[in-house]
Amino acid sequence: MNRVRLFLLVSMLLVAVPAGADILVVVNPDSGIRTLSRSDAINIFMGRYRKLPNGGLALPVDLVSLKPRFYRALVDKNLAAINSYWARLVFSGEASPPQQSQSAADVHHLLAHNPNVLGYVDSETAWDDLRVVLTLDE
Amino acid sequence: MNNPMTRLLLLFRTRLALRTTAIILLIVALLGGLFLGIAVQLRAANVKQTQQIRLEELLTTVERTAQIACFLADERMAQEVTQGLLSNNIVNAVTIRASDGTVLAAGRTGPRLAETTLSPVVREVSSPFEPGVNVCRMTVEPDQDEVDLKVAQASIFLGAALLLQLLGIGVCVILVVARYVTRPITGISHRLSELEVETGQKLKAPRSNRDDEIGALVASVNVMIDNLVASLGQERRLRVEREVEERRYRAIFDNVEAGLFELDGQGLMRSANPAFRRLFGIERQRDLDADPIAFASLAPGDASIETASGRERDEKREGQREYLCEVTQEGGSRWISLLVKPLETGRLQGVAHDVTERKHAAETAAQMAVTDPLTGLGNRRGFDHRLAVMARHYRLYPSRHHSLMMLDFDHFKQINDTHGHHAGDRVLRHVARTLSGLLRQRDYIARLGGDEFVVLLEGCERHDEVETLIQRFLACLETPIPLEDGAGTEIRLGVSLGIATLGIDTDSPQQAVEMADRAMYAAKRAGRNTWRFYATEMAKT
Repeated sequence: MNRVRLFLLVSMLLVAVPAGADILVVVNPDSGIRTLSRSDAINIFMGRYRKLPNGGLALPVDLVSLKPRFYRALVDKNLAAINSYWARLVFSGEASPPQQSQSAADVHHLLAHNPNVLGYVDSETAWDDLRVVLTLDE
Repeated sequence: MNNPMTRLLLLFRTRLALRTTAIILLIVALLGGLFLGIAVQLRAANVKQTQQIRLEELLTTVERTAQIACFLADERMAQEVTQGLLSNNIVNAVTIRASDGTVLAAGRTGPRLAETTLSPVVREVSSPFEPGVNVCRMTVEPDQDEVDLKVAQASIFLGAALLLQLLGIGVCVILVVARYVTRPITGISHRLSELEVETGQKLKAPRSNRDDEIGALVASVNVMIDNLVASLGQERRLRVEREVEERRYRAIFDNVEAGLFELDGQGLMRSANPAFRRLFGIERQRDLDADPIAFASLAPGDASIETASGRERDEKREGQREYLCEVTQEGGSRWISLLVKPLETGRLQGVAHDVTERKHAAETAAQMAVTDPLTGLGNRRGFDHRLAVMARHYRLYPSRHHSLMMLDFDHFKQINDTHGHHAGDRVLRHVARTLSGLLRQRDYIARLGGDEFVVLLEGCERHDEVETLIQRFLACLETPIPLEDGAGTEIRLGVSLGIATLGIDTDSPQQAVEMADRAMYAAKRAGRNTWRFYATEMAKT
């Protein structure tokens, strides 16, 4: 039994360690966007704005694996709340949720090919070809 | 219409319970109206506050949806929220206005009210993701009609409750007043009206009221009854005493010999006893109260003698007046003394006495005092009196002169000595009669003593007049005086006279007497049966 407890404790510590890392909102350097306010990020990712500050169409992309951490950091809500929010808007048609990507590579791919795409990655995943416009502390 | 009204007023006037109730109800109604007004106001405020709270709650219910709708500027969703709010009957209008001023949604169930006392509820809606950032403002107007309806309902309820309370109080007051005030009072009043006070019966207080105000009232009434009975008894006793007095007085009044009468303030005779009526010849049947006699007509003012009765003159109340009056009746004239003294204001009492006898006796006595019993002429006292009167007269009218004549019969003493005193008296009576027959009414003759006479000739100063008189007297004396002693004896008598005149010879009556005396002696010395007027040389002897 003692071993099980010890294992759980260690596991929790292990889980807690990555939380220390930041989440970076990134764009294609060609988008012309140098920086993005937290508010702008919220408005874009929550479907309020469909345009980037520079006037271009905004295409936010969710990284499924990082999604809970991202929204916790951005709007302090859990995934259920975010899902509930979008579910409410399905029939309205006024706004639609960001495109869902299963892996960081997909996100990278989308970012690299479309300057209008907005994505987020873990700060440990460094992509030098992309521009960080907002750093979210966790 | 009028009749029931007057009957109601009559009831109000006559029924204590009803009046009390009406007054209490009026007060309660006024106070109740005041309280109702306050309560309705409070209720209205309360309803408004409740509405506000409910509106706030409604807004809280829809806030999350509204947050999203505003965040996304989703008009359809905002409209949905608006409709949801409007479906509540307390909501009159809803406006959702985005932060940039554009109206996202608006709705209204009733018409716009120009004047509303209700303030709208405003809720700032923040972003669902950024708590500090407002995305829109929701404005909700409460429904005035709904508030009014609620207030009206509350008022009706309160009013009905108050009315019921009024009715309850009214009934209770009527019952209580009737039971605890009216009924005991009615009972006491009933018993009081049946009470036989003369027998000393007392009023009994109802058992339950023995110690309260009604009991006190009954006690007071009993004290009053006691006083009444006492004063009634005293009154009755006094009346009996008074009746006895009255009878006694009446008996005296009717049977006393003195005349008794009463006068009023105007001097009218209001009553008189039989004796008085007899004195003044008033018919027994005459009702003086209805047909009074003026006192002045009985006692003429000039016949009155006022007596101050030892009091001060101005103290007229105590003053007693005496009147003397002469009443001429069939039997002749009678003198009556009337004594009047005040009984009270405007009422006088008088006593009348027949003083005829007394007056006659007094007059006779006075006459006797100045009369010579033998001759019926004046005596010395009468002469002195008459001389004094003459002196007074002379002082007042000095231009009028009076003569004094002294007479002395010659050798009269011999008649007495020879024929006895009886014969002397007879002679004196004869000459007195003779002399009186010669004199005027206003002259005065007196016998001063023995055979000495004096005559006062009033207003006579001329010697010739006097001499005429003397000569006539002497002529009379020429005739012998029969003695009528059976022997046929006759006596001849001479007289010596002396005369003095007051106003010529002297101014003093006493001196005039002396002078006449001297003149008379001068006549005697001159040979008797002659006369002499006073002359100044007589004074020397």
